[in-house]
Amino acid sequence: MAGVAPPSPQKSIHGGLFSPLARGQYAALVRVQTRMFVNSLRTKRGSFELGAHILVFLIFSLIACGPAFGLGFGAWVAVTHGRILGISVLLWVLFLAWQFFAALAPALGGQNPELSHLLRYPVSFGSWIVLYLVYGLAAPSTLIGIIWATAIGIGISIARPDLFLWTACTLALFIFFNLLLARMILAWIERWLAQRRTREIVTAIFLFLALAAQVFNPAYRQNPYSRPLSHVQSKTANRVASRFMEAQKVFPPGLVINSINLRAQHRPLQASEDFLWLGVYTFGAGALLALRLRSESRGENLSDAPRRSTTALRKVRRRPALDFSGPLFSGPIAAVFEKDLRYLMRSGPMLYNLAAPLVMVFLFGGMARGGQFSGVRSRYALPIGMVWAFFGLARLICNNLGMEGDGIQFYFLSPTPMRTVVLSKNALHFVLFLLEIALISAVVVFRFGLPSPSMATDTLAWLIFAVPANFAVGNLLSITMPYRINMTRIRRETGALGNGLTSLITQLGLVAVGALVLVPCALMGHSLLAAPVFLALAAISLFVYWRVLGNVNRMVQSRQESLTLEIMKTT
Amino acid sequence: MDSPAISIRNLTRRFGSFTAVDNITLDVAPGQFFGFLGPNGAGKSTTIKMLTGLLAPTSGHIEILGLDFATDPLDVKRQIGVVPEGLALFGRLTASEYLRFVGRMYGLDRDTTNSRTDELLDFMNLANEPKKLVTDFSHGMQKKLALAAAVIHGPRILFLDEPFEGVDAIAAGTLKAMLQRMTERGATIFLTSHVLEIVERLCSHVAIIHQGRLVANGSLDELRAGVAASELVRAGGSLTGPQPEEKLTLEELFLRIVGGAGAGTPDEALQELSWLA
Repeated sequence: MAGVAPPSPQKSIHGGLFSPLARGQYAALVRVQTRMFVNSLRTKRGSFELGAHILVFLIFSLIACGPAFGLGFGAWVAVTHGRILGISVLLWVLFLAWQFFAALAPALGGQNPELSHLLRYPVSFGSWIVLYLVYGLAAPSTLIGIIWATAIGIGISIARPDLFLWTACTLALFIFFNLLLARMILAWIERWLAQRRTREIVTAIFLFLALAAQVFNPAYRQNPYSRPLSHVQSKTANRVASRFMEAQKVFPPGLVINSINLRAQHRPLQASEDFLWLGVYTFGAGALLALRLRSESRGENLSDAPRRSTTALRKVRRRPALDFSGPLFSGPIAAVFEKDLRYLMRSGPMLYNLAAPLVMVFLFGGMARGGQFSGVRSRYALPIGMVWAFFGLARLICNNLGMEGDGIQFYFLSPTPMRTVVLSKNALHFVLFLLEIALISAVVVFRFGLPSPSMATDTLAWLIFAVPANFAVGNLLSITMPYRINMTRIRRETGALGNGLTSLITQLGLVAVGALVLVPCALMGHSLLAAPVFLALAAISLFVYWRVLGNVNRMVQSRQESLTLEIMKTT
Repeated sequence: MDSPAISIRNLTRRFGSFTAVDNITLDVAPGQFFGFLGPNGAGKSTTIKMLTGLLAPTSGHIEILGLDFATDPLDVKRQIGVVPEGLALFGRLTASEYLRFVGRMYGLDRDTTNSRTDELLDFMNLANEPKKLVTDFSHGMQKKLALAAAVIHGPRILFLDEPFEGVDAIAAGTLKAMLQRMTERGATIFLTSHVLEIVERLCSHVAIIHQGRLVANGSLDELRAGVAASELVRAGGSLTGPQPEEKLTLEELFLRIVGGAGAGTPDEALQELSWLA
């Protein structure tokens, strides 16, 4: 037919993972990412973000390198002493640390890239998965995992150079397995957190695990330093340990080291068998990840939207369940307070970010008891716990407009001054903070007993100083370095690192001030002296907070355009 | 004329070396249904953003209902309602929650907010899915909700940036009826739209902006007369095009004023896209 174009030759090359079309798409994405990166450097904010990235990369590399030496040395010692199987303990440490860090520090991890914008292009599902994996390779958990695995591999290879090739292959597969597993777990958690019912189930499991850890820890650590094990107990412990060593052989860390051990014994067939089983695990993790990504690649919308039902079609006159208006709050303050509370309650990822530090306190609170410095740790448990509470809320406090998305424009259209909006957000975050410190205090009391009155007074005084200081810095950062928070995905957002790093430095600064005042007073035996010092500092921080709040309107007005652009930015 | 509802004097906005809005002066009378037109990139949205406080002007002066925007921004905002380009919705609220939120941000008491919310949801036919989040609404539903939010406080001036884009015919009819009733009761509506048929039907006055400059302003008849006169001058006294009594449509007027056919006819342009099916 005249005027109709012939069938596109592209149809014949469409499909494969490395087809010309797919390769062209990868190249185009690399180019566009490069351009976006270069263009981002045109602004001061972009350069600051790059600096923050480099700094964080260096910090995590340093964090990874210390244990890496230990792991490498441990592996070398184990091999030279003929106890290759003992390396499985090191691999379990690596495995658990990798998965734990990836799951509990997703904001730092950048684990789940947003690829829905690629749906409009003919990107094959295979390419979709490849991109999904590649985009998250720079996550700190991956970086640390790879460095540690490499260190173990080097340790083994130095002790037994003949095992180098086999060790390299097995550890490479193990790294790939960990990468897939971490992504798979987070992808499914994200899915479950997206809807109310599954979110409640996940929360319940989370709490159960945290409480289980609390019960498990005291049972495990019943004065291990003061009471040596009896002969019978020792035999029982050895029996349990050997059973554990036997059982763990069927799991990936065990399979890795068993395979290397069999290769060391010149039994390549049996070594290959374990290698294949590791491959099966990797395939399983990949299949579960693919199952999740299949839905995403078909345009799944992670949202709280209920299914359309006949009951929903009825016109329902419902008054809002939340209503905080009253003598305490003016209309606009209550309105923003309620709105933000609803937003938080509807966002699984946000709740997850709030809960993760609490879970850490639950887990490590138990582990911190006992040991050489148990007295010191018990004494400072309360202030340390309070610091964790700040970490849990830092993302909200230091980017308090980030949740608004397109709605940010509304604040500029409405007759409510931005100062009122910010004050309302501060009020909500303060309430959440009170909730967090109440929970953490309960954990501290449960785990370490009641803190001394002087320590409780000092901690309270420090909080009176630290809270306004935190909110003052948070308000400044929210206006000068805002970024859009994705309410449905667990990920590090564009622009978040610079803000996060500055907020972290602030938290550390406040902790440092606390330590500089508290520790000398405690060493001099006059702990209560710290309280008046903190209260004097609190007067300053309150004044600073009040000044910052007073200047919010002016600051927002001068940055209105960039603020709107950053918060409304979708990619 | 009464003192204007909207008074703009020498309004200019520059982005670096680019001048998006160039020295515009314009008055809109109270109760007018005013259409603000222009091709893509002409400066319509920039102007509306400056008139509603979303963007600060580089220079110039804006008065809304006799209030200076620069000195009384909050008083001005109490008097106006806006449907901006990005709709400014909070995606993770339900429609009802969103309207109640907006009402209280404009200082309405709880009872008034609740009753107006219910009435607006009914009127906009948005009450059927009370649990659905705004983010899951269709674009048309979001537009209707944005309009409901813009009028909940009973504004005296309404600024609408492309209100009919993506709205179905039934909903568009409802919206038009509501807007017309508002103007009959004395409200002023400042509207930008690319749907020129709707503008022609609704607006009593039209201004056209092109490359940042105001190139036409007046009632439709005044624009027709202006175009006819300028064509008469250009043709040296003998018109070959439509005569003034032929009544050009707004689309024809628009194309003549902004020179839409200047780059060649669409057929000529399409010859360059011969590969297209």
